[in-house]
Amino acid sequence: MLEIKDLHKRFGDVVALDGVSLSAKPGEVVGFVGANGAGKTTTMRIAMGVLASDSGEIVYNGTPLGSKQRQRFGYMPSERGLYPKMKVGEQIAYFGELHGLDKAAAKRSTADLLEQLNLTDRIGDNVQDLSLGNQQRVQLAVSLVHDPEALILDEPFSGLDPIAVDVMGTALKDRAAAGAPVIFSSHQLDLIERLCDSVVIIGAGKIIAAGGVEDLKAREVKELRIRVETIEDLTDALPGTVTRDGDDYLVEDGDSQEALRIAAAAGRVTHFAYDQPTIAEIFREAVTR
Amino acid sequence: MSAQTPETPRLRGLMLVAGREIRVRGLAKANLISMAITVLIVGVLAALPAILSGGDDTTAIGIAGSESTAMQQQLEAIGDYDVTVYGSAAEAERAVQDEDVDAAVADGKLYSQDGVGNEEQTVLESVWQSAAVETSLTEAGLDAAQIQDALSVAPLESVTFEQAGGAENDPTAYFTGLIISILIFFMLMMPVQYIAMGVVEEKSSRIVEILLTSLKPWQLLGGKVIGLGVISAVNLIAIVAVGLGVSAATGMLPELPPGTTSAALSTLGWWVLAFALYGTLAGGIGSLVSRQEDAGSVLAPLTTTLTIAYVGSIFILNAPGSLFAEILSIVPPFSAIAMPTRIAIQEVPAWQVVLAVGLLAVAAAGALALGATLYKRSVLHTGSRLKLMEALRKAA
Repeated sequence: MLEIKDLHKRFGDVVALDGVSLSAKPGEVVGFVGANGAGKTTTMRIAMGVLASDSGEIVYNGTPLGSKQRQRFGYMPSERGLYPKMKVGEQIAYFGELHGLDKAAAKRSTADLLEQLNLTDRIGDNVQDLSLGNQQRVQLAVSLVHDPEALILDEPFSGLDPIAVDVMGTALKDRAAAGAPVIFSSHQLDLIERLCDSVVIIGAGKIIAAGGVEDLKAREVKELRIRVETIEDLTDALPGTVTRDGDDYLVEDGDSQEALRIAAAAGRVTHFAYDQPTIAEIFREAVTR
Repeated sequence: MSAQTPETPRLRGLMLVAGREIRVRGLAKANLISMAITVLIVGVLAALPAILSGGDDTTAIGIAGSESTAMQQQLEAIGDYDVTVYGSAAEAERAVQDEDVDAAVADGKLYSQDGVGNEEQTVLESVWQSAAVETSLTEAGLDAAQIQDALSVAPLESVTFEQAGGAENDPTAYFTGLIISILIFFMLMMPVQYIAMGVVEEKSSRIVEILLTSLKPWQLLGGKVIGLGVISAVNLIAIVAVGLGVSAATGMLPELPPGTTSAALSTLGWWVLAFALYGTLAGGIGSLVSRQEDAGSVLAPLTTTLTIAYVGSIFILNAPGSLFAEILSIVPPFSAIAMPTRIAIQEVPAWQVVLAVGLLAVAAAGALALGATLYKRSVLHTGSRLKLMEALRKAA
């Protein structure tokens, strides 16, 4: 269990974090969402120990996170960084060794990852000779080479092509399935919806919404959507406030059972469900609230 | 994947960083080529005196007549002369005309095409005279031992009244001092720039952020300094070894001033101290900026200090006895170049050497602390250049 507890951070007069808390259980993928400048990167940098917080703490499995444990974390900073004039294979293995792998294990792991990422034939090239997308893949390999027991990734999907997005998504799911807590930030909310078990929304240095993806969606239930095969117009017949969305009827504040009875009497009901908001809608709602 | 050690021990982290520097920078083609060229140049320079004075420079001399045997012995003892003995003066004369020999001595005459050089004239003159004296003495009835006694005269002993006057005017000592100062200067200047560039590279590419999740700042800086130190030391040792080796092989070494070899060894020692000082400071100062373009200007105070030390050392070579020489060779960080240079050209009182070493060591320790602090405080600060004072005040 990785817990970020009540972080506070100021940069001069600017309050960057104002009591930020979030956590990820083993095997849980947590999406960290927020507008630019909301405090995502600052939170993650503090969690990885490259920035000091003014107050608050990072707790891992019940004890404050130390540098030894942090060494076994996988981290991808928002500003990507690789040695441009170092060979791809050497570079990934070097980071593996820095994270505590012995030479042979680092080499093995590097070969495995390059295979997965379709980069095996670029192993001897300098990083600067790779396309930006391929450099991103190398960056991913660097964060995964030591088989990390927890992942903190800042915008891991930015700049990736669809195939790389799949590779990255699978990698995250795999780590989570192996029991690693995973926290990643992204602006691609459809990805968050697809990959995450829970979502944390941050705005202006404060957590403004958090919870399981399904819970959040259920919490913000909207209209009842009814689709009926009928030539009748049921707008006046259905209870509550009724609006049309194409051929569908949207029912608000009406008794659902009565609505179903009326609809069933009129014809075959092909759709009868509450509209759920997307994470994007929840996010917009939360941020503008 | 098992083989995960419980943690990266401190030294392992340091050595991993150093190893990367050596692999990536030291074994880079550019470094290997520049090292090969430097070593080649040094080798040629070291061989130059021998090439200029020896080798093809032997003079062919023909001899004939009564003093032939004695002259031949003496000329061959001097060396550099290819002696041919002819049966008669006429034969020797013909050999000169046919240009078989450069000059010939026979029966009191010196034959040559158009005269001989001053040096040869003197040598041939004195050889002829002593051969003639030897013949006269033999005719007077002395035996070989007595003749030997009569002819062996001790060379003039030089007595001077200026202190250390000898070394000051000794071109070889001057040359040695010059070489030492140049070597230390370049072997500091080059890695200092590389260290700063490396620090800025990691900072500007933000890779430092990943590195610092598994390394402490001191490991990162220390590893860099050690790595580039090893690269430079290998360069330095290769150059010194080739220089001394070629000198020894061409027979120049015995002619170098006494203590050249120990001076070369102590040069390494001075360099290690100086490198600890300049290297860590370069890392600390380099971390103040985030862009390569700014690295040069922020390093300027350091490179200027190095240049002053170097230029000062050249001055010392010309006036080793001056007060300026004494001060510059004791005060760090200038002493790093100035003292070994001064030692090469002059007998330096032991207490001054000890004082210089002590002060330099203290300064190096201070630089280590300062450089590491600067680095730690500013390496993650990105964007605009961090003011030195700001970095020092930060978190203070």
